[in-house]
Amino acid sequence: MSRLSPPVAPFSDQLLALDLPDLDEDRRRQVVAFVARRVDGLPSPMKAGVTVVALAVDGLGRALGRRRVVGVLGRRPLPVLGEYVRLVRSLAYAFIWETWPDTTPTGGRPVSERQRANHQASSSAHWCTTANPHASPDARVHQ
Amino acid sequence: MTDEDTRFGTEVLVVGSGAGGAPTAALLAEAGFEVLVVEEGPLVRQGEVVPFSLAQMDRQYRAGGVTAALGLPSIAYTEGCCAGGGTEVNSGLYRRPPEEVLERWRRDHRLVDFDLAEVDEIAGEIEAELSVQAVPGAQIPASEALRRGAANLGWRHDESPRWMTYPDGPDARLGRRQSMTETFLPRAERAGARLVTGLRVDRLVLDGGRAVRAEATRTDDGRPVSIDLDHVIVAGGAIQTPALLQRSGLRRNIGRSLAVHPTVKLAARFADRVNVPDDVPVHQVKEFAPDLSFGGSASNPGLVALALSDSWDRFRDAIADWERVVVYYAAITSEGRGRVHAVPGFRDPVVTYRLTRRDKAVLGRGLSRLALVLLEAGATDVYPSYRGAPVVRTPSDLATVEATFAVGRASVMTVHLCSTVPFGEIETSATDSVGLVRGTTNVRVHDASLLPDAPGVNPQASVMAVAIRNTRRFVETLTPGRKAVT
Repeated sequence: MSRLSPPVAPFSDQLLALDLPDLDEDRRRQVVAFVARRVDGLPSPMKAGVTVVALAVDGLGRALGRRRVVGVLGRRPLPVLGEYVRLVRSLAYAFIWETWPDTTPTGGRPVSERQRANHQASSSAHWCTTANPHASPDARVHQ
Repeated sequence: MTDEDTRFGTEVLVVGSGAGGAPTAALLAEAGFEVLVVEEGPLVRQGEVVPFSLAQMDRQYRAGGVTAALGLPSIAYTEGCCAGGGTEVNSGLYRRPPEEVLERWRRDHRLVDFDLAEVDEIAGEIEAELSVQAVPGAQIPASEALRRGAANLGWRHDESPRWMTYPDGPDARLGRRQSMTETFLPRAERAGARLVTGLRVDRLVLDGGRAVRAEATRTDDGRPVSIDLDHVIVAGGAIQTPALLQRSGLRRNIGRSLAVHPTVKLAARFADRVNVPDDVPVHQVKEFAPDLSFGGSASNPGLVALALSDSWDRFRDAIADWERVVVYYAAITSEGRGRVHAVPGFRDPVVTYRLTRRDKAVLGRGLSRLALVLLEAGATDVYPSYRGAPVVRTPSDLATVEATFAVGRASVMTVHLCSTVPFGEIETSATDSVGLVRGTTNVRVHDASLLPDAPGVNPQASVMAVAIRNTRRFVETLTPGRKAVT
């Protein structure tokens, strides 16, 4: 069981679409990949438990509609399932605001950034460069 | 592949290189023992990763920092998994073990030859070795806010010293943490100890109560490694140590009494830019200690978002102002206990923890009082980390916090894990008074597992002091002719 990868990506993607409607597709894809990678690295008993829950939620999503299931779980914290939502949400939010600290509360890019050239890479770690001279800003980019 | 890659031999094997393993290795090597230190995680030098970042969690924490003790509620915890262990990833705050705690351990667990004056003396040696000192000059604004809030209330507070060296000059943020990779590990290597990283010890092979070999696995390619040994000292921390002992067939009183300091959090918004993302406040509020202590957490924007996420629909606007927001915590001394179970077929142990009714009440009270401190410090908005929490703007809002807080809705976490292999001479002790595991002749434990309970303060000084004391006993008992261990 612990060798299986829990199917968290579809759920994470839908949860982010509902929570942070302005998060663009490219960023959402990076966040989902990060969440999946972290869940895959969970301690083996936790991973087994999360796999069971993720399979159940995925099955429900297929049967009842993913958007509907994610909407209900996102709003109403149920026992066990609520912990799954909290896990995904906390990993995703930590990644988003650490990687792109200027992200708006709805997941959008700040106006100033949108106005810059679209091709320019976003500054992902400006918070770390001034306070700690030993820090390498590149080391914390997860892409 | 050479034989050296797959087979080691040593007089003393030290499993783990953190606050327990590193001082143990240094003292043993200096006493003339052949010492091999094996560490599951990598060696990461200070400056290679940003403190408190996700990159650091990827490289230096077990499972990327996503670990939890199951229960109602589950309690998130973190374990360092790198050379130096938890000393590499924490904030370097230092608290000498309180005398009343040491006395309680000595008395209630019938610790033999546990001399409080000796432990105190060892603590002094540790403080010199690690350059433990207060921050010279100004502190970060988030720390000053905590001090100001407590002072306005007339509540007891103090600055926790840190193991840091500081360059000359006004900016205390340029300090260098004196973690194990900066202090005891180099000292051990200078005395001849070998450090091997990326090697996980799966189990000890015992022959009639005597460990003769350790079976290990390389973490990069999964190759098995065998280590012949005369003595083994396990110092993998309060989760991994009992798990390893259980996998080795040693179960008596092992893994049954996990103790932690459960912690709840809030985020506080100020008018000024108070957030220094890669440093933490050093002030702590001790008015209700040891039951309750308040302090500040790492507050990079990702961690601020995390603190706001339980009530995101109402708190989310604060993230746009993260430079004015800081995360603080209320930690309690818990009456609850947990367990660590090594389960066949799983690589990692199952960890559980049960909070008592009193614990849950104290956590709620703590969150409310912490919010009051921050209002007194000048916070304009306080965001408690639990589902359905109100935004606190005046002291009158605290009644709503107390009415709506339920621990099941909160994000409870801890970083202090202790007591899974308690030492002493009572029925529930897992080792004798110097860490020798019951039923064995050469398996010792030198880490936070030994502490009979969570000491109510950061436990790493206690861990180091006990490890050094036990190492001295080990050397004295085993080889009276060897040179003195200082």
